[in-house]
Amino acid sequence: LAVTIAAFVPAEPWPENATLYQPLKEDQILLSDCASSLAVQAYLRMCGLPVQVVYRANAEYMSPSGKIPFIHVGNQVVSELGPIVQFTKAKGHSLSDGLDDVQRAEMKAYMELVNNMLLTAELYIQWCDDSTATEISRPRYSSPYSWPLNKILAYQKQWEVRRKMNAIGWGGKTLEQVYEDVSQCCQALSQRLGTQSYFFNKQPTELDALVFGHLFTILTTRLTSTELAERIKSYSNLLTENNISVSLSPLLVHSFLLSFPRL
Amino acid sequence: MAAPDELFCWEGDWGLPSVSTDCLVVLAYAQFAGAPLKLRKISNPWRSPSGSLPALRTNQKETLSRPSDIIIHLRKQKFNADYDLSAKEGADSLAFISLMEEKLMPALIYTFWIEPKNYVDVTRRWYAEHMPFPLNFFLPGRMQRQQLEKLRLLRGDERLEAGEELEKELYRDAVECMNLLSQRLGSHKFFFGDSPSSLDAYVFGHLAPILKCKLPNGKLQQHLKSLDNLTNFCTNILQLYFPKDGRESFSQKTSSQSEGGDFDHVPNKRRKQFLSALVALGAMLSYALLTGMVSIQHAHHEALEEPPDLQDIGSHHDHEDEGDG
Repeated sequence: LAVTIAAFVPAEPWPENATLYQPLKEDQILLSDCASSLAVQAYLRMCGLPVQVVYRANAEYMSPSGKIPFIHVGNQVVSELGPIVQFTKAKGHSLSDGLDDVQRAEMKAYMELVNNMLLTAELYIQWCDDSTATEISRPRYSSPYSWPLNKILAYQKQWEVRRKMNAIGWGGKTLEQVYEDVSQCCQALSQRLGTQSYFFNKQPTELDALVFGHLFTILTTRLTSTELAERIKSYSNLLTENNISVSLSPLLVHSFLLSFPRL
Repeated sequence: MAAPDELFCWEGDWGLPSVSTDCLVVLAYAQFAGAPLKLRKISNPWRSPSGSLPALRTNQKETLSRPSDIIIHLRKQKFNADYDLSAKEGADSLAFISLMEEKLMPALIYTFWIEPKNYVDVTRRWYAEHMPFPLNFFLPGRMQRQQLEKLRLLRGDERLEAGEELEKELYRDAVECMNLLSQRLGSHKFFFGDSPSSLDAYVFGHLAPILKCKLPNGKLQQHLKSLDNLTNFCTNILQLYFPKDGRESFSQKTSSQSEGGDFDHVPNKRRKQFLSALVALGAMLSYALLTGMVSIQHAHHEALEEPPDLQDIGSHHDHEDEGDG
């Protein structure tokens, strides 16, 4: 019902009490979810839409698609960056209106590149690499729960991710090959960015938000090896992309750095 | 010169060199790059070195299965269709390939394997007809289960089932993807310049089956046909790089029309009819003999014994008569 109302009333105002849900910042959230959440937060800030971040241990289960993060706006619940971008567009807020058709095609393609290669690589490193899974992912993922639920949930999630990796053909890859894929993805992004400040038109778009979310999180998260961060650091123009943080509230960046004291 | 690598791939049909997207991608790239490959078109995945198709067996006896791995291998052998691409064009290739894998591939899986009418009428029938006995009984079903599992894992929904809503969502993404590809291609012959690259191979591999295969639920085909530049792109590649396969399908169509009916597609029809009649006859005869309905030797014995019985009675009467008289 709310959607049909939005179609008739142009630019229904963004409510003050919009909330974004994600898992617990200190102990529970993992690299991939953190990256996705930061991307959405960055995007909303770029649009100038205020949102309150709420931390819940069961955020994953509350989400309509099972993925983090999701936003609760009015009486609508939308999860993942793609649908959230469409949702805000329906409300009249968009960052990519100034793009022509070819540019929009490229933007969507590059966003899928990040999802297809970077996000999948993050999931692989978290759950398919035994040392990372044992030392970091499983303990963190199951930290809010007591025994034996924590063991069951952790192994269930690991099994689910490994099955997905097999289904898309990543099951047979070695860690080295995955790092190569990350390098390739970063190289492609670096080529596209060139010497510009943003990917398109001197203005940030959802692609910039997505790339920022992933790169910032990878650089500021401690894993069992620094290989991933090192690979990214070698593409220096992508690092200065983080000058997006200048346009965001310094508080956001500061609060994020606080949540990763181990760096 | 070293022996060429062997490529195992699915057979072709409907005017295509192969019915599988991954095989088409590899075949197209090999043609674009001019790589000499020994082609083995089979319809039995168990005969491939990796158990699945496509599979490339290199002359170091290594087996590669993923299309991206096979293309990387060919590039290392100096068969590089992306040689002339600038760094930015290479980056765009990667991005658009990811776009197709995320948005178009799920719809392809749905339309060929999950949509009930399409699967039963076309896909399962094609695989069952082309696979050898006894694989044709269980392998298509197993492949369908694998594809359903893959779609479930891609969407992150364990309880995914065929349905209107899922179809609408997947087709919407696929239509958007096709529109984006069409916008990027514009009025050019290939995506980058005048010679085809790996991106062209991937686009061809994904779109050609949609374009050529006649499916009962053909919404994707309808939309693709409305995008002229993509349709011309596919037919162009078929004409330029796979002329033989296009001609084969034409002759196949005319011969099947002259014979009429689907039953003539069954190979060795006469022999199978004769064998089944023989088996039936043999079964009936052995049943009759075993239950005793027909017994050849017993009838012979009774025929010999009967006259002596009559004679005994006759002689008995004579003796009685003589006894009295």
